[in-house]
Amino acid sequence: MSELFVVGMSWRTAKVAVREKLAFREDELAETLLAITRELPVLEALLISTCNRVEVYGVAKPGADATTELRTWIAKRRNVRLADVGEALYERRGPAAIRHVFSVASSLDSLVVGEAQILGQLKDAYAFAGTAGTSGPVLSRAVERAFGVAKRVRTETLIARGAANVSSVAVELAGRVFGNLTGKNVLVIGAGKMSSLAAKHLYSNGAQKIVVTNRSPEKAEALADEIEATARPWAELEQLLVEADVVISSTGSREPVLTKPMFKKIAKARRYRPMMVIDIAVPRDAEPAIADVDGVYLFDIDDLDKVVAANLAERQKAAEHAGRIVEHEAGQFEHWLRSQGVVPTIRALREKFAQVADAEVQKALEQLARKDMTRDQQREMLQRVVQLVVNKLLHQPMAVLRGSSPEDAELRAGVIAELFALEISDQEPDVQAPEPEPSTEPEVQA
Amino acid sequence: MYAIASALLFVVLAGKSNLRPIAVMFVLFAWLAHGTDIGWRGVQGVHPAESVREALGFLAFIITGGYLLASTRYRLTLGGVVVMPVSLILLVLGRLTPAGDQPEDLSTLGRIHISLATLGVGVFALASALSAIYLVEDRALKRKKFEGVTFKDRGAPLESLDRLAHRLVWVGFPIFTIALVLGAVWTAKLGKSPARIENLLAVITWFAFATLLVARQIYGWRGRRAARLALVGFAAAVAVLLIYLIRRIVE
Repeated sequence: MSELFVVGMSWRTAKVAVREKLAFREDELAETLLAITRELPVLEALLISTCNRVEVYGVAKPGADATTELRTWIAKRRNVRLADVGEALYERRGPAAIRHVFSVASSLDSLVVGEAQILGQLKDAYAFAGTAGTSGPVLSRAVERAFGVAKRVRTETLIARGAANVSSVAVELAGRVFGNLTGKNVLVIGAGKMSSLAAKHLYSNGAQKIVVTNRSPEKAEALADEIEATARPWAELEQLLVEADVVISSTGSREPVLTKPMFKKIAKARRYRPMMVIDIAVPRDAEPAIADVDGVYLFDIDDLDKVVAANLAERQKAAEHAGRIVEHEAGQFEHWLRSQGVVPTIRALREKFAQVADAEVQKALEQLARKDMTRDQQREMLQRVVQLVVNKLLHQPMAVLRGSSPEDAELRAGVIAELFALEISDQEPDVQAPEPEPSTEPEVQA
Repeated sequence: MYAIASALLFVVLAGKSNLRPIAVMFVLFAWLAHGTDIGWRGVQGVHPAESVREALGFLAFIITGGYLLASTRYRLTLGGVVVMPVSLILLVLGRLTPAGDQPEDLSTLGRIHISLATLGVGVFALASALSAIYLVEDRALKRKKFEGVTFKDRGAPLESLDRLAHRLVWVGFPIFTIALVLGAVWTAKLGKSPARIENLLAVITWFAFATLLVARQIYGWRGRRAARLALVGFAAAVAVLLIYLIRRIVE
């Protein structure tokens, strides 16, 4: 049976310093895949290389130790000593490899459990292997099933629910206040990296107008250019706050920039329309007391982190449920794979038997056509043909059985007895079976 | 059935969110059954606003209907937990009230008054339920209680709650105003003193909701303040109903 395997490393086993050594660029993928199937005893191969994992999935040639060879090969290919990366490289075979690919696709093996990117990356990798011509029946069946499992996990568990990073939490909280962000104004105070990330996230969730203000106007301009926002002078801050629905603040100021007296005025000018202030600066930009103002919802970095932590804890719980789904699906897949293993053998056996029978029937028919026969002669011929077919079919197995070493012979005899439901009596001492003669008939065929 | 629906909604709120559709279905069935009951009595000549007894049942019917309508747009489990027991209590109160021996000979004026008042209070009740949810959610957000019930089971966003409550008050207010005026005329016709406590409370209700509308229009009052005021107004309206009820039982 050709066996699925995986060899690779992920954030679990290797730091980025090691992962980057083995990572493959997208333009190297096709060539690498072809090299793997050409130079190693590997029938099918798929390579995934992301920032958190580098893995080769493959199907080994029967009997070959593909994983060991692959480890050495990867190290050589990437010009690193196997000793340096060997510990980080894990390998799984058969059922364990199936479980692994199901877990990876379902994002159970991800750094942030439940994140959706890995599924897309796996799909890309699969498409690549398809284009390169290195994915075959076993791999494609396993990977496609993995996509199915991932979908099941996402719909049946809460694994992907709840924002898992600060920017998404900001969006989630905004949703609690505003419903959706369409048409809402975002004000970014300060030009830090965090605020630009959060602003981008709000923008991609429907917020239409983003305004940036900063003490130094150049930085405001620069950030505004980067995120397609408008820069406005710092002096207009109060007016900008009146117009804003979501405020993201991350200045480097030591003193609070947003004060309660200021917000009392602003809230009134806003006619108490709700307003969300996300303060991701440390030290904080907003006085905690502004949260007392009607309609003002203030969240600082600790609040956001708290939500992230709570959501991740929820996801972890969901991951247990998801793990059971993966386990169940992997069991079913193994079962299917095992049944697939005997199919080619059955097919070949049928074909061979049919061939032998056809050939003999053909010869007999030709003889019949050549000369007139009496009924007795016909019966005799029919018996001979059947005997001939049986002899031919038995010839090869008998030869192997006789030529076997004693322990092999016993094993094989047992298998044959089981396959044909033979009743073997021990009383008769070693009856010498008549040697079947493969061809008693003169060769008619050319 | 209201009882079962209420119980189910509590279970849903407690975390079994997969039961939610079943709970809402129960609310729907209960509501339909109730509607059939009201219709059937109507055919038999029992006007839904004939007496306090009938009016209370009718009120429960309006509130539940409003809840069902709202829950087609939002996941209002929390709202259901507020609304359904209220409907249940109203219905039970109504049923427990002695039918009375046809006390007042209800004039058309009286009937219209009771109908409109019931409808107005029903709409206010919905607005108040939304306001109550608003206050709970607002508190959770301000205190940053993210693991709370309100946070897990995503209810309607604050802005929508506020807007919806405001619209309901807009709808309910004119109805209630007409009911109040008709009520005053009716009492005057019956020759009763206008200075009774329930009349005072009704006026308080009217003032509360009037202030709400005016303050929002002029000063932009909304959110917490508006929600609290709506609750005050509704409390006064409920007090009026209770007084009618108690008087009926006492008499």
